[in-house]
Amino acid sequence: MATLPRTRPRNRRLVSRNTVAGWSFILPNFLGFAALTLLPVVVLFYVAFTNWNVFGVAEWTGTANFRRMWDDSSFWTALRNTVYYAVFHIPLTLAAALGLALLLNRKLRGVRFFRTIAFFPYITSIVAIAVVWNQLFSPEYGPINALLGAVGVDSPPGWTASATWSMPAVIIVGTWRYMGYYMLLFLAGLQTIPAQLYEAAETDGASPWQRFVHVTLPGLRTTTFFVTVLLTIESFKVFDLILVMTGGGPGQSTLVLSQYIYQKGFEENQFGYASAVSIVLFGICFGITVIQFMVNKRRNS
Amino acid sequence: MTATDLSLPVPAVAAPGNHGTSARRVRSRAWRLLGYAALVLAAAGLLLPFLWMVVASLKTNNDVFTIPITWLPDPVVWRNYVDIWQRSDMTTWLWNTLLLSVIVTFLQVFTGSFAAYGFARVRFPGRNLLFLAYVGTIAVPWQSYMIPQFILMSKLHLSNTLWSIVAIQAFGAIGVFLMKQFYETIPEELSEAARVDGLSEYGIYRRIILPLSRPALASLALLTFTTTWNDYLGPLVYLRSPELRTIQLGLNTFISQYNAEYALIMTGSVLSVLPVAVIFLLGQRYFIEGVASTGLKG
Amino acid sequence: MKRTILATVSAATALTLVLAGCGGEDEPADPNAPVTISLAGWSLSSTPEFKALADGFKATHPNVTVELKEYAPGNDYDTQMITDLAAGTAPDVYVMKNLKNFYTYQSGGQLLDVSDVTSGLGSVPALASYQVDGKAYAVPYRQDSWVLFYNKDLFAKAKVAPPDGSWTWDDYTDATKRLHTGLKGAGSNATGAYQHTFQSTVQGFALAQTPNADLLAGDFGYLKPYYERSLDLQTAGAQPTFGTAKTNKLTYQAQFGKQQSAMLLMGTWYVATLLNQRQSGDADKFQWGIAPAPQFDKSTTGTSATPVTFGDPTGLGINPKISKSKTAAAKAFLQYAAGPEAGKALAGIGITPAQVTDAATATLFGLDGVPQDDLSKFAYAKHTIRPENPVSKHTAGLQNLLNETHSAILSDSKGLDAELSKAQDRAKNEVLNQ
Repeated sequence: MATLPRTRPRNRRLVSRNTVAGWSFILPNFLGFAALTLLPVVVLFYVAFTNWNVFGVAEWTGTANFRRMWDDSSFWTALRNTVYYAVFHIPLTLAAALGLALLLNRKLRGVRFFRTIAFFPYITSIVAIAVVWNQLFSPEYGPINALLGAVGVDSPPGWTASATWSMPAVIIVGTWRYMGYYMLLFLAGLQTIPAQLYEAAETDGASPWQRFVHVTLPGLRTTTFFVTVLLTIESFKVFDLILVMTGGGPGQSTLVLSQYIYQKGFEENQFGYASAVSIVLFGICFGITVIQFMVNKRRNS
Repeated sequence: MTATDLSLPVPAVAAPGNHGTSARRVRSRAWRLLGYAALVLAAAGLLLPFLWMVVASLKTNNDVFTIPITWLPDPVVWRNYVDIWQRSDMTTWLWNTLLLSVIVTFLQVFTGSFAAYGFARVRFPGRNLLFLAYVGTIAVPWQSYMIPQFILMSKLHLSNTLWSIVAIQAFGAIGVFLMKQFYETIPEELSEAARVDGLSEYGIYRRIILPLSRPALASLALLTFTTTWNDYLGPLVYLRSPELRTIQLGLNTFISQYNAEYALIMTGSVLSVLPVAVIFLLGQRYFIEGVASTGLKG
Repeated sequence: MKRTILATVSAATALTLVLAGCGGEDEPADPNAPVTISLAGWSLSSTPEFKALADGFKATHPNVTVELKEYAPGNDYDTQMITDLAAGTAPDVYVMKNLKNFYTYQSGGQLLDVSDVTSGLGSVPALASYQVDGKAYAVPYRQDSWVLFYNKDLFAKAKVAPPDGSWTWDDYTDATKRLHTGLKGAGSNATGAYQHTFQSTVQGFALAQTPNADLLAGDFGYLKPYYERSLDLQTAGAQPTFGTAKTNKLTYQAQFGKQQSAMLLMGTWYVATLLNQRQSGDADKFQWGIAPAPQFDKSTTGTSATPVTFGDPTGLGINPKISKSKTAAAKAFLQYAAGPEAGKALAGIGITPAQVTDAATATLFGLDGVPQDDLSKFAYAKHTIRPENPVSKHTAGLQNLLNETHSAILSDSKGLDAELSKAQDRAKNEVLNQ
């Protein structure tokens, strides 16, 4: 993108013309976005400093919610679990989605069919997913442990029925469910890479791996950036999948921040505190996103 | 428009490695067979829960959950597929969901791609800050601000109407973000050339950028459609009247406090997945042919 | 810039927080003018109780129409109700599924004082649960209690003596194991008992039956013997493990209804479900019965004593934003719903009303498929019911953490003592100090 010198006076008119043009593009979306998302989010920031029970008037309590959070061991457990999930889920899903997209970005017979199949985990009812995976993981009767037993694993893991293994189980299912979603984005990104680049690389005698590293990956950079940001945020916000898979248990072994927010808000009616926890979750996601933006910017220039 | 046509990149139609000598062809056929085998195996793993849904939909309610898992229904209850139409408003639910998904997808794709152009290609003060605000709201969990939002919508007399779902879904930030990222892969020289030709920004958007972004538009449309189709929490919070129910909300009415009709729920789930699968199958042609064909039209 | 932000914030807050309260317009009151009051219910097609109440009330109050508003089932009901109340769009009369939620609504000022209704009701046992500072904020219309369902055919097959009302928990544990062995010997795969994954199946009994047990004191030692027995049965294989029940999403309806387990501790609501499922073919047709829940010690066993069990009442309350002209009709409806007439109507569809009168018991046991033995009638009609959720600010928080403790103990993570002491620490540091 061409950089415009900022201070020259004759550009002032250009700036104001651009401002009008820019806003005219953004406005249709922004009106709806500002009224229906931004405004409630601003209210949320206010509520985080009150002890609101939803019904009455919110009473200002300053930073009390945040001080309470500091001493709340459940909050820290939820945070730790959320990070645990994200740290594994993000790279695994990224790799699986990219792998699927590369595999299915060719003119094979029936490729459309396979792509649809790859997207099925995302469209299948989440209840069915929880049921089937839980049964597959069932410690006593599940086929996964039967398989592990057959290859000589003495004490196979308890998966969703054990505090130690429930998170790995959830991560596996999370990756399985969302890889199709991100595959779709990678597929769109792959269409933007000019074929000449591949042809040129092939003429130069580049191996498939070299072509992948020197053509595909750089060509996918903006897509990868988008996918990483979105995937990071969605991983930190993970909610419904864990809710139906384990309900946060056993114990608190899979309790994540989003669920904790729901619990405090809707079950214990402490919306002020729940909002404060959301602000922290927001802060984490936002911080990481800003870092990703900065890294991306530096890499681009 | 000829000037722009010349500088258009010829997009990848298929991954390289499909043509070569006959020795290579034999090897590549072996690889291809192996690839198919892997794909079929992977497909089975991906489809397993769906298959379970189909099987469960043919069982009686109390046979749905068993130890260990049973893959063959006994007896086979075909009646569920008749019952669900008689005992529920499946037609209404499907119609509402379809209506919502189409409107939301249209609005999201249209306003999102339009706004994204402003963010990607027009420089004005405050742009980056505004964009950060967009991305930032993605990071706020919806269940934490849904009550303020609900109160607001009630004041606007939108709650308990289908418009409420349109309103909360259609202006999401993800579409803006996705399209902006995609636009940035389109070479700036294209727009520059068009500007020289005297095209306005709106003209550039409509005649150059939009046709070039078909794969991204298609994936945004598919993702938005699916998300709206499968959304549960949004309709749950906003819709009350039975005639407004969406498919996910409607299926949940088969759970009463003390008893859950899981077989019927699964019957409905199977029926609800099919339209999405069909749309997905159809929408895919834009991933291969989309750019290739538009490149020449300009 | 700063001022703009401030203005936006205050406008937004004003919009969402202050404007939330509106409605309540005055209209002239005429006792015989036609009135329509709205009543919240859920899954109306499969939950006939709301229609039964509305129709029954219409018969004696022809000028009042009770219009049903359908809400989502399960916990989603409360999600929808909380949002509706917060926005001022909730119906005139709504249901409190359990006492935990009653506290939420009452302390949030979302329930009208209905003391004048309860004064005319006489001795409905659960009334006391809805009183705060001497005022009543809701009335119960159904009162389920937990009992022991058992399969007479499977007992005969295993050659084990069926319950006779004299069981303590040790007797129950013993019988479960003997059933397990007996059934196995008879070539059956059924287990002795099925303990559903609800925390109530252990904690509800422990709290109700143990002398001096107090949820709000934050000392959970009273849970220990109850969990020891559960773990014992689980290890012996006499009932499916918690992990199996969770991962295979076992339903108690299928476990008992399809004769997978010979005994099931469950609330009396299951009577109606079982009857319906026998009709529809979802459940097998077998001889079954109800016995009192096993007791803490011998002092409350036997048919001459009164067994102790637990159960929260289900209540109806009035939205304070109801228009004045409808208040009288809504109160009359509450009076009806908690009274004996509604009790008979509810019993007729298999539901246990707030006041288990002889007439209501006779109606329920007159239904097709209900066991006719004396022990079943005794178990159904005679007991002391303690609430599962004592009404307090801390109840929801404590129950949430005890629910987590429940799954931790039964999945055998760190051992019973460690989990209980962890629960006590958390109760002290996270809930009771708020």
